[in-house]
Amino acid sequence: MTATATRADRRAQRRNRRALRRWEVANRGTELGLIVLVAIAVVGAYTLASLGKTASLPVNLGPFLAVVLGLLLCGHVALRILAPRADPVLLPVAGLLNGLGYVMIVRLNRHQAGLQAVWTALGMAAFIGTLAVVRRVRDLDRYRYLLGLGGIGLLLLPLVPGIGEQIGGSRVWVHFGPLNFEPGELAKVMLLVFCASYLGEKHVLLAQGDRRWGPIPLPDLRALGPVALAWGVSIMIMVAEHDLGMSMLYFFLFITLLYVATGRRRYVGGGAVMFAGAALIAYRTSAVLHERVTVWLDPWRTSQSTGFQLVQAMFAFAAGGTVGTGLALGSPSRIPAVQTDFIFAAIGEELGLAGTVAVLAAFLIMVTVGLRIALRADHPFDKLLAVGAAAILGLQTFIIVSGVIRLLPLTGITLPFVSYGGSSLLTNYILLAFLLRISDSSARHAAGITP
Amino acid sequence: MNRNIRAFGIIVMLLFVALAAQLANLQVVDAKHLNHDPRNTRQVVADFSKPRGAIQTADGVIVAQSVPSGDLYKYQRQYPKGPLYAFTTGFLSFRYGATGVEAQYGAALAGRDLPSAGGLRGLLSPTIRTGTVTLTLNDYLQQAAAFALGQRVGAVVAIDPRDGSILAMVSQPSYDPNLLASHNGTAESTAFTGLNRDPGAPMLPRAYRESYAPGSTFKTITASAVLDHNPSIATTTYPTLAALPLPQTTNKLHNFGGETCGGQMPTLFVISCDTGFGQIGLDLGAPALSAEAQAFGFNQIPPLDLPGVFRSTFPGPAFFDQQKPLLAFSAIGQDDVSATPLQMALVASAIADHGVIMTPHVMKEIRDSDGNVLTSYTPKAWLVATSPSTADQIRAFMVSVVQEGTGTAARLPGVQVAAKTGTAEVTPTATNAWMIAFAPADNPVIAVAVVLPALTGVGNEVTGGVKAAPIVRGVIAAWLQHLSATAAPHA
Repeated sequence: MTATATRADRRAQRRNRRALRRWEVANRGTELGLIVLVAIAVVGAYTLASLGKTASLPVNLGPFLAVVLGLLLCGHVALRILAPRADPVLLPVAGLLNGLGYVMIVRLNRHQAGLQAVWTALGMAAFIGTLAVVRRVRDLDRYRYLLGLGGIGLLLLPLVPGIGEQIGGSRVWVHFGPLNFEPGELAKVMLLVFCASYLGEKHVLLAQGDRRWGPIPLPDLRALGPVALAWGVSIMIMVAEHDLGMSMLYFFLFITLLYVATGRRRYVGGGAVMFAGAALIAYRTSAVLHERVTVWLDPWRTSQSTGFQLVQAMFAFAAGGTVGTGLALGSPSRIPAVQTDFIFAAIGEELGLAGTVAVLAAFLIMVTVGLRIALRADHPFDKLLAVGAAAILGLQTFIIVSGVIRLLPLTGITLPFVSYGGSSLLTNYILLAFLLRISDSSARHAAGITP
Repeated sequence: MNRNIRAFGIIVMLLFVALAAQLANLQVVDAKHLNHDPRNTRQVVADFSKPRGAIQTADGVIVAQSVPSGDLYKYQRQYPKGPLYAFTTGFLSFRYGATGVEAQYGAALAGRDLPSAGGLRGLLSPTIRTGTVTLTLNDYLQQAAAFALGQRVGAVVAIDPRDGSILAMVSQPSYDPNLLASHNGTAESTAFTGLNRDPGAPMLPRAYRESYAPGSTFKTITASAVLDHNPSIATTTYPTLAALPLPQTTNKLHNFGGETCGGQMPTLFVISCDTGFGQIGLDLGAPALSAEAQAFGFNQIPPLDLPGVFRSTFPGPAFFDQQKPLLAFSAIGQDDVSATPLQMALVASAIADHGVIMTPHVMKEIRDSDGNVLTSYTPKAWLVATSPSTADQIRAFMVSVVQEGTGTAARLPGVQVAAKTGTAEVTPTATNAWMIAFAPADNPVIAVAVVLPALTGVGNEVTGGVKAAPIVRGVIAAWLQHLSATAAPHA
């Protein structure tokens, strides 16, 4: 009797395990298929760009295909081993954006393309490394304050004389010998972990606590203190470094996390009021912001000086039209900083509205998949971290694209995965690893497996 | 928490919809408007990165060409003759766009409007075809005209009156278009700024984009107006005067240099008598004179195939209603009359071509890379300025000007030259010295206008007959010599 029951149990367990493995395989199989499609798309774009530029096939087509496929397969294999139940869509979409960005950079500046390739490999290494080291994101809870302080420390680095460097009006770079790095990018991840971890613990308290000062409801300052401090300090540092795009991103990221954690609209309202106030003060006092707003309102008046970049970007988008000029057949080099902040304009010129909307759709897929991972996550910290990672991708894309297409004043920041820039690429791959780690954990949890 | 995550998701979607909407606006709705914005140099950029056809003179001298360059743009535009053809070829600048023939025939030079090789082969390996523009200008004559003008400020325009071909067009000072075709943006903008700040205005095409009081060369039109509208004036004898009393004012119209003169119109024309022609203008009346100026091309932009051609001006009849004295001054080409050297060359060619002004043009033909003629200029009349009989009478007056009048300095052995001098006082101390001419008088092959504006000096040293006539003579002599030299082998 007992023996039969045990045997039946064991059989059921085996059935369950087989079903689970099939599901794992199905998930990773989808990913593998998408990776092959992405590799074909990227190599196809690379070939077209070469045909457009020199009317000949690229000489290194074989090696290029091997590298693209190889890098993506590295990530894929790492996921099979380290997070087999992770979402199958994110890695291929990131690879597509990264690959498209690389093709545009090759077409714009061969030297930078080489560096970007190295950074892509480093990004993939960071991706795998993160998956390998962080087996459960909640483990990061322990290093909450270390990460928070470390993030602020990183933000301060560019202000240190000797290693800090001012490029293009913003002092956000540090260099050690030949190595240039934008520490604000990495600080983004560390501060996100800190906030997600802190708010994940205190969200109940923050959602309930209610003090009033007369008619004005006040947040529980004692509960909010550390996170508000980190927020204020980091934004002040970035304002001091004239990094408008990054400070915008931080601001909206914190508001998003606070709102998701507590569900209190008053944080959003308060944030909006603070943003309006800060923007007004900055507009009055910061020459950089004042200039950006002036150019945004009327780029034509200064089309040969401060408005040149934006006007040229608008010409690029217009030249692209519906389907674009074709890869390497446009002239986006007219736009200053086209490889970094303005790479979206190059895509707009050469791939047209079809291309820009496709890129936006890819980002939207990443954001929605990220948010779905957050919905399914089974711990407040996991949820907040996933929301934060998705929010960074979505908000950063919105901030730079809206600036480039003159929807909002321009505040320079990279387009995730697409722009030239090693620090940004590395950071985004780490965020991607977090998302995949969380999705794997919640799938395991749902399947009743504890790591 | 999940409800909040969904709310955030909706916000992000709305933000992305806003992005897509603005993109559609930029890339589709507003695209045409942006693509045609004059500040948009994208077309120039595209043209820079492709080979571009050459521009050559009628006698085969290359005046603009693209040679491979090692830099980003692949080709470098060169102007081997430097400043000599600057106002005809124009320049193709990365930053400042294109001017001259580079702009006018830009599409043909870049091969944009040429049919491309058809079929799949054409699609896969598009061979870039370009057009070569051959000018009507002749390098031999252009050099001769530039030599005759020398370093003096002024302009020379030579036209074949039979078909409107511009044979030579010199404007001094000039600039080197190579400076503005530099791929180095800083060098380019430094040159551009420097040229624009130069008080000598070296980038001003004086031949067709600047107008000057034409002085007595305008008497050609006044005399035509008499013959066309009121021939009885031509046989009226005008008193010999040093100064003409004017209606409605105590001011008088003085002869140049205080001379006295009078007689009938042919005589007045030959010696260029201002008092006589002033009275002729008053007798003729504003409507007739204004209509004649209009018929000769004033108040219209000559349809020369170059951008930026100026219109020459003569006031409408109503202008003189309250200011009768000004009519006397306008009849001798002063005060409110102003003409470009191109316009005055067209006046000469009207008389030379029996009253018809042929459309002036610099493009002779356009060939593709394989040497096939794509476009060949077909001569057509622009205006009928006057009747053949009037033109023939004026021609006789102009022949006399060279034989016995103010233009003897334009005389050439063995060839009858017809000309009219002009000396317009622009300020009490500065005059524009003019001459318009054509030759040979009985079968004209060249019509010329020369202006030396704002010459300072006194008396007869700064007249058209002294200063401009030798240039005219040099240009005509060079052309006739060139024609007989090139025609000889065939004879």
